[in-house]
Amino acid sequence: MFQRLIAFFLLSIMLLPLVSADQEASSWNQENSLAWEYDLGTGYISTSPVFVDDKIIVRTSGNSEPSVTALELDGTLAWSHSNLFSKNNDMSPLLTVNAGEGACGTWPDLVLVGWTNGVIDALHPSNGSVFWSAQTEVAGWGITGAAGVSQDHVIYPTRRGVGQFCLADGSQEWWAETGLGWRNGVSLYDGSIYSGDELGTLWQIDLNGNSTPLATFEGKIRHAPLMTSAGLLVHVQSSMDSTVYILDPNSGEERQQIPAGPSPAIPVLNGQYAVVSDSMDLRMMKCDAMCKVVSQIPFHSNGEIGWHNQGHLIAPHNTPDSDWGSFVLDGSQNLTLEFIDTGISGYGTAAPLWFSSNGVDYTVFGNDQSLLRVYQSNYSEEIEITKDTDWATQGFVFTAYVLLASSAAFLLNGRKDLFLRTSSLLMVLVLLMILPDLSQVWSEAVDQALPEPSTSEAWDEQWPDSWLGTQVVIFEINGMETAVGGLVGYENVFTVTKAAADEAGISLTAEQTGIGMYISSIGGVEGDGWEYDLDGSKGRLSADNTVIESSSIVRWTPV
Amino acid sequence: MFEAMGVHGPTLSPFASLVLDIVLLASAFWLLAKPTKRPLMDSLFLATLVLSVSFLRVIMQPLPNVQPVTVAALLVGAQLGARRGAAFAVLVAMISNFFMGDGWWTVFQAAGWASVAVAGSQLTLMTPSGLDLRKAIFASLAAAVWFDLIVSFSILDGTIGFTDFITYLVHGIPFDLLHMASNLVFVVWLGGWFSGLLEEQPTLEEIEFAVVNGHGIDG
Repeated sequence: MFQRLIAFFLLSIMLLPLVSADQEASSWNQENSLAWEYDLGTGYISTSPVFVDDKIIVRTSGNSEPSVTALELDGTLAWSHSNLFSKNNDMSPLLTVNAGEGACGTWPDLVLVGWTNGVIDALHPSNGSVFWSAQTEVAGWGITGAAGVSQDHVIYPTRRGVGQFCLADGSQEWWAETGLGWRNGVSLYDGSIYSGDELGTLWQIDLNGNSTPLATFEGKIRHAPLMTSAGLLVHVQSSMDSTVYILDPNSGEERQQIPAGPSPAIPVLNGQYAVVSDSMDLRMMKCDAMCKVVSQIPFHSNGEIGWHNQGHLIAPHNTPDSDWGSFVLDGSQNLTLEFIDTGISGYGTAAPLWFSSNGVDYTVFGNDQSLLRVYQSNYSEEIEITKDTDWATQGFVFTAYVLLASSAAFLLNGRKDLFLRTSSLLMVLVLLMILPDLSQVWSEAVDQALPEPSTSEAWDEQWPDSWLGTQVVIFEINGMETAVGGLVGYENVFTVTKAAADEAGISLTAEQTGIGMYISSIGGVEGDGWEYDLDGSKGRLSADNTVIESSSIVRWTPV
Repeated sequence: MFEAMGVHGPTLSPFASLVLDIVLLASAFWLLAKPTKRPLMDSLFLATLVLSVSFLRVIMQPLPNVQPVTVAALLVGAQLGARRGAAFAVLVAMISNFFMGDGWWTVFQAAGWASVAVAGSQLTLMTPSGLDLRKAIFASLAAAVWFDLIVSFSILDGTIGFTDFITYLVHGIPFDLLHMASNLVFVVWLGGWFSGLLEEQPTLEEIEFAVVNGHGIDG
């Protein structure tokens, strides 16, 4: 009887794919079809595209030619504008401004671009030509946060402050000093500007450029604060987790504290609802007199969150081989999640772009693969999306099913020896298939449960001060050390290493393995492989699976 | 856990590597040395065994922690005894690491597999009817954990504290599980055949001696 029960269990497992087959194509995928895709070559799409002047405009960076590219609705290239001097990851969102007139002059429709070399470019969306350009401070890096518009001015966060610029000619009207910031977007409410910094200070700046610290937290503020009905919402990131604070916008007095997970995303607000996310969960909060979490779903998102309408969100799942998550809020205030298959799975932090043109709804996706995919709803023509078949995985899965069926059959026939053989082989196959994900999830759990490593990489006094608070990579090649610093915004050891190698002109060879990216040679030196230390502790996971802080030091040494 | 993580302890100079290889090789010869001359076929058989298992380890390198050496060392120890089992383990570690990467860790791998072979020789895994499969399964599972633990000590280069080491061990548990599962596969699929292959057959002289001796007793 017991054997029959086990056999029934094994055979039931075989039927699971039939159940999940219906779930594979999400409802979003059923309602939308791929219209076209555009390969932007290299670089990352770290922030959402914008739609203006009937063009989709997207920025790419992290490569040798950081650019803003405009595409027509049929996918043809309209124009491209590059900034070869913006060496770091550009993640300041593109900002569109309608034509207008103010005390400082008149301006046409504009796309405003903030670069990490401190330049602000105001571009004509029609042809990409520069309407005006302004240089702001650079201290290792320049602009990384979101800007805001106030009447005839644009307010841009720089590394150590916030500046106001005339929309008509780009002239700087004032600049207010705050703290060292990164991704330090600004928000404007009731005549006040709010921005946070890397030391956890929330700054309030009046429209004349006078800044005062409003509140200080233990951690980092890396987003534009949000004004909810309950107060000012700030999501503060600390080393192991984060906290959502609700504050009095005038006094900075703390009204509420909501604990959250590590590496928070940029929170968004729509009416009464605010959404925050991190490496563990996505939370939807309803804010009236107080903010209350109404729904929470396990989800790993660290960048932008796109809010399509009151009840529909899409956020990139920022892990290897991941796609976007589509969240729908039902009448009972429960969020449901389904994954959207965009065909460009992988790391991503950019929210999708939504827009309508000629009665057709478009959704545009882009991520670290530098490939822009445009979907449209109600598309009558069937477009065949060809996908490469992963024969190795297919073979693995097929073999697993054969072994599963055999195990059940042998068990029913009382052939315990053969059952042991097939079931043990099945176990190894399953473990091999899930090992990359299993080891990553396990390591993340262990890192949270066990204490931090006791060592730390020493700061080299010869390094420039501008590297303080940034990411630094050291290569030990043939006994010589090459250090590259001032790097900002890289999410893991692999991406920061690649950026550092590019900047230093050091060749890097890496290959994808079952447990992540393996660096096989640096500067042409292979040796017996390479290993890294992160902040003085030996790396335990593959480079692409190790998340880094904004001020990490990575050291690569040959084995 | 060690192999899959890619963390390999201190880096050795070319001279230190040479000394290490000589010590390992010498220990293997010492383990194999006997006062009486070993038949040529015996030596050839052991050499073939070492080369085959080393080759299997090298070609199975893409599968993390899936390799036949641990189970092979266990069964060689059980059938051929502790000395030849340990020598087999040292030689396999050296030869396969020649292709996969030699270094400080080779000592720990050799020690880990040699200790498994010694344990195999003490566990009476063999019965008159062949391999005691149940016992061999438990032994192979324990051997995976033991070997991974021994090899993990190679990261202790003076810069890693106790807590860090424990954290390192815990991080490697998924890879230990895979090692255990693959050992189980090797034992249940190939254990009986492999131990049979290792079973020492009497030489013609030994048969003749036994027959004559038997008749003598009868007389």
